[in-house]
Amino acid sequence: VPAEWIVAHGFEPRRLIPLPTDGAAVAPRVEGLCSYARAFVNDAAAENAAGIVVTTLCDQMRRAYDLLTCGTGTPAFLLNVPKTWQTVAAQRMYLDELKRLGGFLVRLGGRAPSSEQLAKTMIEHVGWAAPTASPAHVEGVPLAVVGGPLMQRDRILFDLIEESGGRIVLDATETGSRGLRRAFDRRRIAEDPLMELADAYFGIPDASRRPNSELYAWLKDELTRTGARGIVFHHYLWCDAWRAELARLKEWVGVPVLGIDSDGNGETNVARLRTRIRAFLEMFQ
Amino acid sequence: VTGEPRQINLDQWDREYARLRAAGLTEPVYGGPLSRHVADGDTRLLKLRYDNSPAALRLWNFLLTEEDRLRAARDSGKKLVGAMKDLGTVPVMAYSLDNLVSFYPDGAWWIPCVMEFNTGLLQIADSLGVDESFCPVRAMLGAFVTEAHFPIPDLLTCSVGATCDDFSAIAQRLNGLGHPILWWEIPHRRSPEPGEQAVTLPGGFSAPRSQIEFVRSELFRVKAALEELAGRPLDDETLAAGIWKANVVRDLLARLRHLAFTAPLCPMPALEMLIAEMLAIHFCSDQDETILVLTDLLAEVTRRAAAGTGHLAADAARVFWVNPVADLQAMNLLEDCGGRMCGTEYLFTHALDPIPTTIPPMEALAQMALADPMVGSAFDRAARIVADIRRFGAEAVIVSRIPGASHCALEGEIVARRVREECGLPVLEIEVPSITDATQATLCTRLEALVETVKNRRER
Repeated sequence: VPAEWIVAHGFEPRRLIPLPTDGAAVAPRVEGLCSYARAFVNDAAAENAAGIVVTTLCDQMRRAYDLLTCGTGTPAFLLNVPKTWQTVAAQRMYLDELKRLGGFLVRLGGRAPSSEQLAKTMIEHVGWAAPTASPAHVEGVPLAVVGGPLMQRDRILFDLIEESGGRIVLDATETGSRGLRRAFDRRRIAEDPLMELADAYFGIPDASRRPNSELYAWLKDELTRTGARGIVFHHYLWCDAWRAELARLKEWVGVPVLGIDSDGNGETNVARLRTRIRAFLEMFQ
Repeated sequence: VTGEPRQINLDQWDREYARLRAAGLTEPVYGGPLSRHVADGDTRLLKLRYDNSPAALRLWNFLLTEEDRLRAARDSGKKLVGAMKDLGTVPVMAYSLDNLVSFYPDGAWWIPCVMEFNTGLLQIADSLGVDESFCPVRAMLGAFVTEAHFPIPDLLTCSVGATCDDFSAIAQRLNGLGHPILWWEIPHRRSPEPGEQAVTLPGGFSAPRSQIEFVRSELFRVKAALEELAGRPLDDETLAAGIWKANVVRDLLARLRHLAFTAPLCPMPALEMLIAEMLAIHFCSDQDETILVLTDLLAEVTRRAAAGTGHLAADAARVFWVNPVADLQAMNLLEDCGGRMCGTEYLFTHALDPIPTTIPPMEALAQMALADPMVGSAFDRAARIVADIRRFGAEAVIVSRIPGASHCALEGEIVARRVREECGLPVLEIEVPSITDATQATLCTRLEALVETVKNRRER
């Protein structure tokens, strides 16, 4: 979901990094439900926002949207993001979906931007928040963190890695650098800003794309560039898209991989997580 | 040669088979006693109960010989198309070309049940990182690795987009193991925006014209791949003929379902009806034979309905079942507990609706693909379920969860809520694993409670 598109329509975009709670909920805790999807819709329903945007990249989020529409009066929009990416038709569909999102934002009270306004926004706005990486002064074994989106409590993963002697040189989670668009091409912005916006965001690699070979191409480049010596792979229980990639990543990558699954409740797992990360890092000594 | 309707076990079928043969039963080439499949490893058959008609025998033998049929097709020079995550679209196109045979690799999800975990397919999936947190369709990965349950197809297609994450992830893993896949996109079916051109799809859902155009363009990619594989073009006339034949299957099933679900006495048990319905989506690797098998079955059901004979008690609780079961025995259990199947939604009701014949064939197939209840909102699916509940007069609903399936965690509540609100019927949500032996007591208790509830409601 391009942040710049939302800004250009006169809204402030906010990426929801959910915090799972056990209280009143739109989505109850049930077996088989990904904790991220659950926490997202529950937080979104409680959020004081003008509108909520959900995408179809993951089946559980697509279906959680149904619960969200029942559980909140806040207008919500389901953005159809194609899983395939190789065809002009898929790219066209994504572009059309952005236009449809624009219509939703206008109905919320926003203004349809002119090409010039959109171009200006794209040049001035930085997009979504910057990724997590260890500060330059931190020393330790260079590691990459790979996986889907993280919730607030899961940030402890980064602290535990650093306190255990690791240094994060690549945050390849969805909430990290992997989830960021490429840099815009100013010439293409001048020619057709919406097309450039769509192209930049549609190219974000993800486990859910079919095929997801671009994810591996991206990882190959980034792992080489950053010199990561190992990977901490994180996924939530019942997140099929990422769960299925763990074994394939291990076969492919050529560096040690630590697979961590999480039920999304964070606090109860810290001791176990710390032990596993320490043991993993001992391999590099 | 047909006797009174009875449900019999495998031993009884062997004796009945001998009697039928002695009475002059003629069978297709894949015929024979059912018990021979146990020697092939299909040990679950020992625990099932079957309808005793020759039509049901033919149905079972047809189902259980699919692998032989696929290998024979390849030996005869035909090309095989594995249509994954495809509930009735690509097979219609493939069978329009007479040198292609399409099958449904996802059907491997029943192997752990039918062969009672004896094949090691799930262990292979485990070793590939696809563990029990995924739907039992992960058995398909093992089947591709062992090549023991179906030949590796010449072309693999897989629909993605608004599909379950389990299967999408499993197919991607398969792709990563070196099996090329033609991915085609089916977007989430959305409501038309204000002012946007809308189309009413077969089955009653609506979608924006732009989505149909998109799916049509995706199906053209599939069509091109099929043409290349077949070495001949798939023109509109040929495809229209293929659609006509698919509609023959759908029409047979529609009549079969109507009779089976509405006759005063149940003319065909739930288990055989489940198998029959499944033929709609992939024709069990032989479309012509599917028509003959269903014709036989329909004739038997028609005869029984007309004669007022059937299975089960006349006051059996009329149950509508949502989602297919991983363990076939669950169908027997429902009837053991006093229930009778009166309506089903096994994820592919769109594949039971006739394909439109008054519009260009590729447009018709695009509409059918978008009419899939699983590609839209769960509210849409619930609406279709409610309509079918009313059509068949069901008195209760069972939402059967598939272990690990990404859609099951969220849709059950929506379906249940809608059914309670609009029909006021009791809803039971259960989970049916590949083998229910360990949970049968609990399962039966819950099914019996539902049946009891239905009967109490009648008295009120």
